[in-house]
Amino acid sequence: MSDVTVIRPPSLDGLRRAFVLAEDRIGHYPEFRRFFAQTFNLDRDGLKQPGYLTTPSGNSYALVFIGRSGEPFPAGVEIHALVGALEPLDEDVADRDLWAILKWMIAGVGGDWTVRDLEATGRLYRVPAAM
Amino acid sequence: MHYVDEGAGDPVVLLHGNPTWGFLYRDFVGPLTRAGHRVIIPDMIGFGLSEKPTREDAHSLDGHVANLAALLRGLDLTRITLVCHDWGGPTGLGFALSNIARVRALVLMSTWAWPLPPAEFHTRIFPWRMMHAPLVGPYLMGRHNVLVTRGIYLSVVDRARLRERAQAAYEMVLPDPATRLLTWTWPRWIPLDHNARAFERFAWLERELAACKLPAMLVWGREDDVFDQATFATRFKQLLPHAEGPHLVTGRHFLQEDSGPEIAERIVDFLNRLKQTEARA
Repeated sequence: MSDVTVIRPPSLDGLRRAFVLAEDRIGHYPEFRRFFAQTFNLDRDGLKQPGYLTTPSGNSYALVFIGRSGEPFPAGVEIHALVGALEPLDEDVADRDLWAILKWMIAGVGGDWTVRDLEATGRLYRVPAAM
Repeated sequence: MHYVDEGAGDPVVLLHGNPTWGFLYRDFVGPLTRAGHRVIIPDMIGFGLSEKPTREDAHSLDGHVANLAALLRGLDLTRITLVCHDWGGPTGLGFALSNIARVRALVLMSTWAWPLPPAEFHTRIFPWRMMHAPLVGPYLMGRHNVLVTRGIYLSVVDRARLRERAQAAYEMVLPDPATRLLTWTWPRWIPLDHNARAFERFAWLERELAACKLPAMLVWGREDDVFDQATFATRFKQLLPHAEGPHLVTGRHFLQEDSGPEIAERIVDFLNRLKQTEARA
Protein backbone atom coordinates (compact mmCIF):
# COMPACT_ATOMS: atom_id res chain seq x y z
CA MET A 1 0.00 0.00 0.00
CA SER A 2 2.81 2.37 0.84
CA ASP A 3 6.43 2.93 -0.04
CA VAL A 4 7.09 4.57 3.29
CA THR A 5 9.19 2.36 5.53
CA VAL A 6 9.95 2.47 9.22
CA ILE A 7 13.73 2.31 9.70
CA ARG A 8 16.11 1.90 12.59
CA PRO A 9 17.58 5.11 14.00
CA PRO A 10 20.11 6.28 11.42
CA SER A 11 23.44 7.95 12.04
CA LEU A 12 22.84 11.68 12.21
CA ASP A 13 26.47 12.60 11.51
CA GLY A 14 26.58 15.45 9.03
CA LEU A 15 22.78 15.86 9.08
CA ARG A 16 20.37 18.32 10.60
CA ARG A 17 16.69 18.03 11.38
CA ALA A 18 14.64 20.39 9.24
CA PHE A 19 11.15 20.95 10.67
CA VAL A 20 8.36 20.36 8.13
CA LEU A 21 5.07 19.67 9.93
CA ALA A 22 3.60 19.60 13.46
CA GLU A 23 0.45 18.15 14.97
CA ASP A 24 -0.56 19.35 18.44
CA ARG A 25 -3.42 16.92 18.84
CA ILE A 26 -2.55 13.51 17.42
CA GLY A 27 -5.36 11.91 19.45
CA HIS A 28 -8.14 14.12 18.11
CA TYR A 29 -9.28 10.88 16.53
CA PRO A 30 -7.86 8.30 19.01
CA GLU A 31 -7.14 5.72 16.33
CA PHE A 32 -4.38 7.97 15.00
CA ARG A 33 -2.60 7.99 18.36
CA ARG A 34 -2.97 4.21 18.61
CA PHE A 35 -1.40 3.81 15.18
CA PHE A 36 1.72 5.76 16.12
CA ALA A 37 1.96 4.13 19.54
CA GLN A 38 1.84 0.68 18.02
CA THR A 39 4.07 1.43 15.03
CA PHE A 40 6.88 2.88 17.14
CA ASN A 41 6.33 0.90 20.36
CA LEU A 42 5.69 4.13 22.20
CA ASP A 43 3.94 2.48 25.16
CA ARG A 44 7.26 0.72 25.83
CA ASP A 45 9.81 3.24 24.59
CA GLY A 46 8.10 6.55 25.41
CA LEU A 47 10.34 9.52 24.68
CA LYS A 48 13.50 7.43 24.32
CA GLN A 49 14.04 8.26 20.67
CA PRO A 50 12.21 9.62 17.61
CA GLY A 51 10.62 7.31 15.08
CA TYR A 52 12.32 7.24 11.68
CA LEU A 53 10.93 6.75 8.19
CA THR A 54 12.15 6.69 4.64
CA THR A 55 9.97 7.84 1.77
CA PRO A 56 9.87 6.97 -1.93
CA SER A 57 12.21 9.88 -2.67
CA GLY A 58 14.86 8.18 -0.57
CA ASN A 59 14.75 10.89 2.07
CA SER A 60 14.55 10.09 5.75
CA TYR A 61 12.35 11.73 8.34
CA ALA A 62 12.33 11.85 12.13
CA LEU A 63 9.03 11.77 13.99
CA VAL A 64 9.47 13.53 17.31
CA PHE A 65 6.66 12.65 19.65
CA ILE A 66 5.35 15.17 22.14
CA GLY A 67 3.94 14.47 25.61
CA ARG A 68 1.53 16.74 27.46
CA SER A 69 0.69 16.38 31.14
CA GLY A 70 -2.68 14.81 31.77
CA GLU A 71 -3.05 13.38 28.25
CA PRO A 72 -2.28 9.97 26.77
CA PHE A 73 1.10 9.74 25.08
CA PRO A 74 1.83 10.89 22.47
CA ALA A 75 -0.14 14.13 22.53
CA GLY A 76 1.51 15.50 19.40
CA VAL A 77 4.17 14.85 16.81
CA GLU A 78 6.64 16.90 14.80
CA ILE A 79 7.98 15.69 11.47
CA HIS A 80 11.52 16.69 10.60
CA ALA A 81 13.37 15.98 7.37
CA LEU A 82 16.93 14.74 7.76
CA VAL A 83 19.02 16.85 5.39
CA GLY A 84 22.65 17.69 4.98
CA ALA A 85 23.72 19.86 7.87
CA LEU A 86 24.44 22.89 5.71
CA GLU A 87 22.02 22.11 2.87
CA PRO A 88 18.63 23.74 2.21
CA LEU A 89 15.49 21.66 2.30
CA ASP A 90 13.94 20.95 -1.10
CA GLU A 91 10.38 22.05 -0.25
CA ASP A 92 8.77 20.43 -3.29
CA VAL A 93 10.31 17.06 -2.52
CA ALA A 94 9.42 17.44 1.16
CA ASP A 95 5.83 18.21 0.23
CA ARG A 96 5.53 15.04 -1.86
CA ASP A 97 7.20 13.08 0.92
CA LEU A 98 4.70 14.43 3.43
CA TRP A 99 1.86 13.34 1.20
CA ALA A 100 3.38 9.85 1.03
CA ILE A 101 3.69 9.83 4.84
CA LEU A 102 0.04 10.85 5.18
CA LYS A 103 -1.01 8.03 2.86
CA TRP A 104 1.10 5.59 4.89
CA MET A 105 -0.50 6.89 8.08
CA ILE A 106 -4.08 6.66 6.80
CA ALA A 107 -3.48 3.16 5.46
CA GLY A 108 -2.12 2.19 8.86
CA VAL A 109 -4.96 3.76 10.82
CA GLY A 110 -7.46 1.90 8.62
CA GLY A 111 -11.07 1.33 9.57
CA ASP A 112 -13.21 4.12 8.16
CA TRP A 113 -10.09 6.02 7.10
CA THR A 114 -9.04 5.15 3.55
CA VAL A 115 -6.27 6.30 1.25
CA ARG A 116 -8.94 6.62 -1.40
CA ASP A 117 -10.70 9.31 0.66
CA LEU A 118 -7.41 11.05 1.39
CA GLU A 119 -6.55 11.14 -2.30
CA ALA A 120 -10.03 12.36 -3.18
CA THR A 121 -9.73 15.12 -0.57
CA GLY A 122 -6.34 16.11 -1.94
CA ARG A 123 -7.71 16.28 -5.48
CA LEU A 124 -10.82 18.22 -4.42
CA TYR A 125 -8.61 20.84 -2.81
CA ARG A 126 -6.03 20.68 -5.61
CA VAL A 127 -3.00 19.84 -3.56
CA PRO A 128 -0.12 19.41 -6.03
CA ALA A 129 1.09 16.11 -4.58
CA ALA A 130 -2.38 14.61 -5.07
CA MET A 131 -2.93 15.73 -8.66
CA MET B 1 -8.09 41.92 18.62
CA HIS B 2 -8.53 44.02 15.50
CA TYR B 3 -11.96 45.50 14.79
CA VAL B 4 -13.68 47.99 12.53
CA ASP B 5 -15.70 50.68 14.31
CA GLU B 6 -17.74 52.97 12.02
CA GLY B 7 -20.81 55.14 12.43
CA ALA B 8 -22.88 56.19 15.40
CA GLY B 9 -26.04 54.85 16.99
CA ASP B 10 -27.11 51.55 18.46
CA PRO B 11 -24.32 49.10 17.69
CA VAL B 12 -24.50 46.25 15.20
CA VAL B 13 -21.74 43.71 15.82
CA LEU B 14 -20.98 41.50 12.82
CA LEU B 15 -19.26 38.20 13.61
CA HIS B 16 -17.46 36.04 11.07
CA GLY B 17 -16.40 32.41 11.30
CA ASN B 18 -13.85 30.05 9.76
CA PRO B 19 -11.71 30.96 7.76
CA THR B 20 -12.91 34.49 7.04
CA TRP B 21 -12.45 37.88 8.70
CA GLY B 22 -14.19 41.24 8.88
CA PHE B 23 -13.76 41.67 5.14
CA LEU B 24 -16.71 39.28 4.78
CA TYR B 25 -18.98 42.14 5.90
CA ARG B 26 -17.61 44.89 3.65
CA ASP B 27 -21.00 45.33 1.93
CA PHE B 28 -22.75 45.81 5.27
CA VAL B 29 -20.88 48.85 6.59
CA GLY B 30 -22.35 51.48 4.26
CA PRO B 31 -26.03 50.52 4.53
CA LEU B 32 -25.90 50.07 8.31
CA THR B 33 -24.02 53.29 9.08
CA ARG B 34 -26.23 55.29 6.69
CA ALA B 35 -29.23 53.89 8.53
CA GLY B 36 -27.93 55.30 11.80
CA HIS B 37 -26.07 52.39 13.34
CA ARG B 38 -22.60 52.02 14.80
CA VAL B 39 -20.96 49.04 13.09
CA ILE B 40 -18.41 46.93 14.99
CA ILE B 41 -16.67 44.14 13.05
CA PRO B 42 -14.13 42.17 15.10
CA ASP B 43 -11.61 39.82 13.58
CA MET B 44 -11.71 36.72 15.75
CA ILE B 45 -8.39 36.06 17.49
CA GLY B 46 -6.60 33.74 15.05
CA PHE B 47 -8.05 35.33 11.93
CA GLY B 48 -7.90 38.48 9.85
CA LEU B 49 -5.76 41.27 11.25
CA SER B 50 -5.99 40.01 14.83
CA GLU B 51 -3.28 38.21 16.79
CA LYS B 52 -2.76 34.59 15.68
CA PRO B 53 -1.69 32.21 18.44
CA THR B 54 0.47 29.34 17.20
CA ARG B 55 -0.51 26.59 19.65
CA GLU B 56 -3.74 24.65 19.30
CA ASP B 57 -4.50 24.81 23.02
CA ALA B 58 -4.66 28.59 22.78
CA HIS B 59 -8.09 28.17 21.19
CA SER B 60 -11.35 27.07 22.79
CA LEU B 61 -14.98 28.04 22.34
CA ASP B 62 -15.14 29.50 25.84
CA GLY B 63 -11.92 31.42 25.18
CA HIS B 64 -13.31 32.98 22.03
CA VAL B 65 -16.53 33.97 23.82
CA ALA B 66 -14.35 35.58 26.50
CA ASN B 67 -12.34 37.42 23.82
CA LEU B 68 -15.55 38.86 22.43
CA ALA B 69 -16.84 39.75 25.90
CA ALA B 70 -13.60 41.61 26.61
CA LEU B 71 -13.97 43.67 23.45
CA LEU B 72 -17.67 44.49 23.76
CA ARG B 73 -17.50 45.22 27.49
CA GLY B 74 -14.34 47.24 26.92
CA LEU B 75 -16.26 49.38 24.43
CA ASP B 76 -19.13 49.40 26.96
CA LEU B 77 -21.62 48.55 24.25
CA THR B 78 -25.30 48.16 25.05
CA ARG B 79 -28.35 47.64 22.84
CA ILE B 80 -26.20 45.41 20.66
CA THR B 81 -27.55 43.66 17.61
CA LEU B 82 -25.37 40.58 17.07
CA VAL B 83 -25.08 39.29 13.51
CA CYS B 84 -23.70 35.76 13.67
CA HIS B 85 -22.31 33.56 10.91
CA ASP B 86 -20.61 30.15 11.16
CA TRP B 87 -18.43 30.11 14.35
CA GLY B 88 -19.68 33.63 14.96
CA GLY B 89 -22.88 31.81 15.99
CA PRO B 90 -21.64 29.78 18.97
CA THR B 91 -19.27 32.62 19.88
CA GLY B 92 -21.74 35.46 19.53
CA LEU B 93 -24.59 33.56 21.15
CA GLY B 94 -22.25 32.55 23.96
CA PHE B 95 -21.72 36.26 24.60
CA ALA B 96 -25.37 37.22 24.10
CA LEU B 97 -26.77 34.57 26.41
CA SER B 98 -24.31 35.41 29.19
CA ASN B 99 -24.62 39.21 28.73
CA ILE B 100 -28.29 39.42 27.91
CA ALA B 101 -28.71 42.96 29.33
CA ARG B 102 -26.31 44.31 26.70
CA VAL B 103 -28.06 42.70 23.74
CA ARG B 104 -30.97 44.09 21.77
CA ALA B 105 -31.45 41.58 18.94
CA LEU B 106 -29.99 38.63 17.06
CA VAL B 107 -29.47 37.94 13.36
CA LEU B 108 -28.42 34.36 12.59
CA MET B 109 -27.00 33.06 9.30
CA SER B 110 -25.64 29.62 8.36
CA THR B 111 -24.67 28.58 11.87
CA TRP B 112 -25.71 26.30 14.74
CA ALA B 113 -25.98 26.35 18.53
CA TRP B 114 -26.61 22.82 19.83
CA PRO B 115 -24.43 19.81 20.45
CA LEU B 116 -26.17 17.18 18.35
CA PRO B 117 -26.97 16.24 15.72
CA PRO B 118 -24.16 17.73 13.66
CA ALA B 119 -24.56 18.77 10.07
CA GLU B 120 -24.42 15.70 7.85
CA PHE B 121 -21.53 17.38 6.01
CA HIS B 122 -19.51 17.46 9.25
CA THR B 123 -19.94 13.73 9.84
CA ARG B 124 -18.43 12.72 6.49
CA ILE B 125 -14.82 11.59 6.32
CA PHE B 126 -14.63 12.77 2.71
CA PRO B 127 -13.92 15.60 2.64
CA TRP B 128 -14.59 17.19 6.01
CA ARG B 129 -13.15 14.91 8.69
CA MET B 130 -10.24 13.93 6.46
CA MET B 131 -9.41 17.57 5.89
CA HIS B 132 -8.77 18.22 9.60
CA ALA B 133 -7.58 14.75 10.66
CA PRO B 134 -4.33 14.56 12.66
CA LEU B 135 -1.39 15.66 10.51
CA VAL B 136 -3.69 15.90 7.48
CA GLY B 137 -5.15 19.15 8.85
CA PRO B 138 -1.79 20.87 9.34
CA TYR B 139 -0.74 19.65 5.88
CA LEU B 140 -3.84 20.55 3.86
CA MET B 141 -5.05 23.58 5.78
CA GLY B 142 -1.68 24.74 7.11
CA ARG B 143 0.87 24.16 4.36
CA HIS B 144 -1.66 24.47 1.53
CA ASN B 145 -4.30 26.76 3.04
CA VAL B 146 -7.02 24.78 1.28
CA LEU B 147 -9.95 26.10 3.32
CA VAL B 148 -9.14 29.57 2.03
CA THR B 149 -7.86 28.82 -1.46
CA ARG B 150 -10.62 26.30 -2.31
CA GLY B 151 -13.03 26.00 0.60
CA ILE B 152 -14.53 29.47 0.33
CA TYR B 153 -14.56 29.20 -3.47
CA LEU B 154 -16.55 25.96 -3.32
CA SER B 155 -19.02 27.51 -0.86
CA VAL B 156 -20.24 30.51 -2.83
CA VAL B 157 -22.63 30.65 -5.78
CA ASP B 158 -20.80 33.22 -7.92
CA ARG B 159 -17.30 31.79 -7.92
CA ALA B 160 -15.97 34.03 -10.67
CA ARG B 161 -16.93 37.13 -8.71
CA LEU B 162 -15.30 35.77 -5.58
CA ARG B 163 -12.09 35.14 -7.51
CA GLU B 164 -12.16 38.63 -8.98
CA ARG B 165 -13.19 40.67 -5.95
CA ALA B 166 -12.46 38.85 -2.73
CA GLN B 167 -10.24 35.79 -2.91
CA ALA B 168 -6.98 37.70 -2.54
CA ALA B 169 -8.23 39.49 0.57
CA TYR B 170 -8.98 36.19 2.29
CA GLU B 171 -5.58 34.76 1.35
CA MET B 172 -3.48 37.80 2.30
CA VAL B 173 -4.31 37.66 6.01
CA LEU B 174 -3.23 34.03 6.35
CA PRO B 175 0.10 34.20 4.53
CA ASP B 176 1.94 31.20 6.01
CA PRO B 177 1.20 27.93 7.84
CA ALA B 178 1.81 29.41 11.29
CA THR B 179 -1.03 31.90 10.76
CA ARG B 180 -3.58 29.25 9.69
CA LEU B 181 -3.84 27.20 12.88
CA LEU B 182 -7.45 28.07 13.62
CA THR B 183 -8.59 26.90 10.17
CA TRP B 184 -8.09 23.28 11.22
CA THR B 185 -8.57 23.80 14.97
CA TRP B 186 -12.15 25.11 14.70
CA PRO B 187 -13.38 22.05 12.77
CA ARG B 188 -12.10 19.91 15.63
CA TRP B 189 -14.39 21.78 18.05
CA ILE B 190 -17.58 20.85 16.21
CA PRO B 191 -19.35 18.24 18.36
CA LEU B 192 -19.87 14.91 16.60
CA ASP B 193 -20.79 12.87 19.67
CA HIS B 194 -21.25 13.11 23.44
CA ASN B 195 -17.49 13.01 24.05
CA ALA B 196 -16.88 16.29 22.23
CA ARG B 197 -14.88 18.91 24.14
CA ALA B 198 -17.53 21.60 23.79
CA PHE B 199 -20.54 19.31 24.24
CA GLU B 200 -21.64 20.88 27.53
CA ARG B 201 -21.18 24.44 26.23
CA PHE B 202 -23.31 23.69 23.18
CA ALA B 203 -25.91 22.01 25.39
CA TRP B 204 -25.99 25.19 27.50
CA LEU B 205 -26.35 27.31 24.35
CA GLU B 206 -29.31 25.23 23.24
CA ARG B 207 -31.04 25.46 26.63
CA GLU B 208 -30.49 29.19 26.97
CA LEU B 209 -31.50 29.89 23.40
CA ALA B 210 -34.78 28.04 23.89
CA ALA B 211 -35.56 30.42 26.78
CA CYS B 212 -34.38 33.53 24.92
CA LYS B 213 -36.96 36.18 24.03
CA LEU B 214 -34.65 38.57 22.20
CA PRO B 215 -35.99 39.76 18.84
CA ALA B 216 -34.35 37.66 16.17
CA MET B 217 -34.12 37.23 12.43
CA LEU B 218 -32.91 34.23 10.43
CA VAL B 219 -31.25 34.69 7.03
CA TRP B 220 -30.15 31.65 5.07
CA GLY B 221 -28.65 30.82 1.70
CA ARG B 222 -30.92 28.81 -0.54
CA GLU B 223 -27.92 26.86 -1.82
CA ASP B 224 -26.29 26.33 1.59
CA ASP B 225 -25.04 22.75 1.64
CA VAL B 226 -23.08 22.97 4.92
CA PHE B 227 -25.81 24.18 7.29
CA ASP B 228 -28.73 23.48 4.96
CA GLN B 229 -31.67 25.74 5.64
CA ALA B 230 -34.24 22.93 5.79
CA THR B 231 -32.43 21.46 8.79
CA PHE B 232 -30.65 24.34 10.49
CA ALA B 233 -32.91 27.32 9.93
CA THR B 234 -35.82 25.09 10.90
CA ARG B 235 -34.08 24.09 14.14
CA PHE B 236 -33.42 27.73 15.01
CA LYS B 237 -37.06 28.47 14.28
CA GLN B 238 -38.05 25.76 16.77
CA LEU B 239 -35.74 27.24 19.40
CA LEU B 240 -36.76 30.84 18.63
CA PRO B 241 -40.34 30.57 17.35
CA HIS B 242 -40.73 34.36 17.48
CA ALA B 243 -37.81 34.86 15.06
CA GLU B 244 -38.47 36.40 11.64
CA GLY B 245 -37.69 34.28 8.65
CA PRO B 246 -35.86 32.38 7.55
CA HIS B 247 -35.39 34.88 4.76
CA LEU B 248 -33.82 32.98 1.89
CA VAL B 249 -31.21 34.67 -0.29
CA THR B 250 -28.87 33.53 -3.01
CA GLY B 251 -25.93 31.94 -1.28
CA ARG B 252 -24.11 28.87 -0.12
CA HIS B 253 -22.35 28.86 3.27
CA PHE B 254 -20.64 32.22 2.66
CA LEU B 255 -23.91 33.91 1.73
CA GLN B 256 -22.49 37.37 2.46
CA GLU B 257 -20.36 37.02 -0.68
CA ASP B 258 -23.37 36.43 -2.91
CA SER B 259 -26.01 38.58 -1.22
CA GLY B 260 -24.22 41.05 1.05
CA PRO B 261 -26.17 44.21 0.11
CA GLU B 262 -29.50 42.37 0.20
CA ILE B 263 -28.80 40.94 3.66
CA ALA B 264 -27.63 44.34 4.89
CA GLU B 265 -30.88 45.92 3.73
CA ARG B 266 -32.84 43.15 5.47
CA ILE B 267 -31.00 43.92 8.71
CA VAL B 268 -31.68 47.65 8.30
CA ASP B 269 -35.37 46.93 7.71
CA PHE B 270 -35.51 44.53 10.67
CA LEU B 271 -33.96 47.12 12.97
CA ASN B 272 -36.22 49.90 11.70
CA ARG B 273 -39.27 47.83 12.48
CA LEU B 274 -37.80 46.87 15.85
CA LYS B 275 -37.34 50.57 16.61
CA GLN B 276 -40.99 51.24 15.80
CA THR B 277 -42.07 48.35 18.02
CA GLU B 278 -39.92 49.64 20.87
CA ALA B 279 -41.37 53.15 20.42
CA ARG B 280 -44.92 51.82 20.60
CA ALA B 281 -44.04 49.90 23.77
